[in-house]
Amino acid sequence: MKLIKMVLAAGCLWAGTALADPPKDYPFVDFDAGLKAAKASGKPIFVYFGRYGCAWCDHTNKKTFSDAGLKKLYSENYALVYVDAESGKRLTLPSGERITEAELGARLQAFATPLFVYMTPQGDKIMQVPGFKTVQDFQDYDRYVRGGHYKQKTLLEFLGSKS
Amino acid sequence: MRAAALLLALLSWPAHAAWTWSEPLTVNSVQGAAIFPHIESANRQGVAISGNTVGVVWEDNRSGSPQCYLATKPAAAVAFQPEVQLSKNECYEPVVLALGAGRFVTAWEEAGKVHARVLPGGKTLQLSKTEAAQVTLARGGDSLYAAWAEQAGRFKRIAVASLALKGGTLSVKSVQPVEAAMPADEQGWPALAVAGDGSLTVAWEDRRHHHTVPMVSHSRDGKSFAPPARLIDRKSGRVDGLGAGMGAMRPTLTAWGEQGVVAAWLDKRDFLSGYDVYAAFDPGTRTFGRNLKVQDSFGDNMAQWHALIVGDGAGRLVSLWDDARDGTPDVWLSEWEGDAFGEDAAVPAAHGPGGQSDPVATLDASGALHGVWLDRDEAAGTRIRYARAERK
Repeated sequence: MKLIKMVLAAGCLWAGTALADPPKDYPFVDFDAGLKAAKASGKPIFVYFGRYGCAWCDHTNKKTFSDAGLKKLYSENYALVYVDAESGKRLTLPSGERITEAELGARLQAFATPLFVYMTPQGDKIMQVPGFKTVQDFQDYDRYVRGGHYKQKTLLEFLGSKS
Repeated sequence: MRAAALLLALLSWPAHAAWTWSEPLTVNSVQGAAIFPHIESANRQGVAISGNTVGVVWEDNRSGSPQCYLATKPAAAVAFQPEVQLSKNECYEPVVLALGAGRFVTAWEEAGKVHARVLPGGKTLQLSKTEAAQVTLARGGDSLYAAWAEQAGRFKRIAVASLALKGGTLSVKSVQPVEAAMPADEQGWPALAVAGDGSLTVAWEDRRHHHTVPMVSHSRDGKSFAPPARLIDRKSGRVDGLGAGMGAMRPTLTAWGEQGVVAAWLDKRDFLSGYDVYAAFDPGTRTFGRNLKVQDSFGDNMAQWHALIVGDGAGRLVSLWDDARDGTPDVWLSEWEGDAFGEDAAVPAAHGPGGQSDPVATLDASGALHGVWLDRDEAAGTRIRYARAERK
């Protein structure tokens, strides 16, 4: 446990020197670790698909992920995964296929970063939303995903009906 | 500048002739829903033509772990011969280079180090002493080179090796990092090209500017390298105090014309439309010029993936990639027409329902284009497909 804390602390220091990495102080892990944790915990997966040096990722981190309530909401209820859109690091898809993190972008047809992907604990995609999002947006997406509304409604239908 | 423009014009080739493609063949003999072939590699070097023999390399997990394979076929044969397994341990990103007379040299990452082997017949040689990945090869005259990304402290950096070939036996003559200094951030995905004058160009992804920038260096002897220069003509920098710059990745290189080198890569300077394919030319000055967009306007609002550039000494130059502008991923190509890249053309057998992606290609001595790509079918499994095209 102590070792994990040290690794996470080192990761935070590292994030401090780099631009547009995962938001500070969130327990983001890599794809394989996140999928494993989600299967064990039954929590849905939230994938932050970012790019090294990405201005809009930086903006989202500063403007949105800095919110303490959002940090608590997502840290407690999701397996948080960070994927680097240009990395050659390998990950294993739920199908067993090994691909690079950059190749995951091709599979998702990602056209902009940041891209946020919600998945079931088994790794099946629920939805993906690109670009800058507000705290309110992420709270709405959380209700849609964890409330199971995605099984009956599209995101637009859900957002149109919420009050 | 005028001389360079004239050179580019001289090196142009017929703008409106079309490619006529052969019926596609399946390369991989084993397919299945849980078998995942990949033809990803540094410089996208998955197919080569040696004499009258076609060679294709890839990685798949048919044996339960990722392993690398080479399949060959005589040019006139109607099927590929059963593939040869190159690796014994977990293997990724194989490349293949023609040696002539039906011989090939292949290289790959295996168990965290990079290896090479001459086929048929040769023995496997471990190229890197330390942890390494993303190996690529290039040949010009009697010179044979390999480059890879190897661990140097906290990050990987680019190393270039000069290789000796005696019969079927490979050996490493020298290994040199492109930069002597330890890397300040991650480097990877090298591409090599030996120009007509024998000089070596190496391009790679580099994160020293806190975003991914393709960099390039040149060497006359494969040992001493010029200081790295940016391949992209956009500066790094924050936008309104945010980020560090746009992304660009996976540079590929080809020798072109008498002394030229051309680069192509994926570029996100238009950040709302995904990666576009960009190219730059070095006409022989060992300096790359302004960046040119490769794909046409119909591909502008679509992300392009898996781009590469292939050229030859006669001035032929083709870029290939995949994008989903018609609804599903298809393989597209564009040819250099002397002053710009021409209209995008779909590769017929790699276009239509289903997903066709991840092209690799090469030009043979007669100017024919040999293309290989993945044809995805979730139920039946992914096929690696090959076709040959001639200009009519």
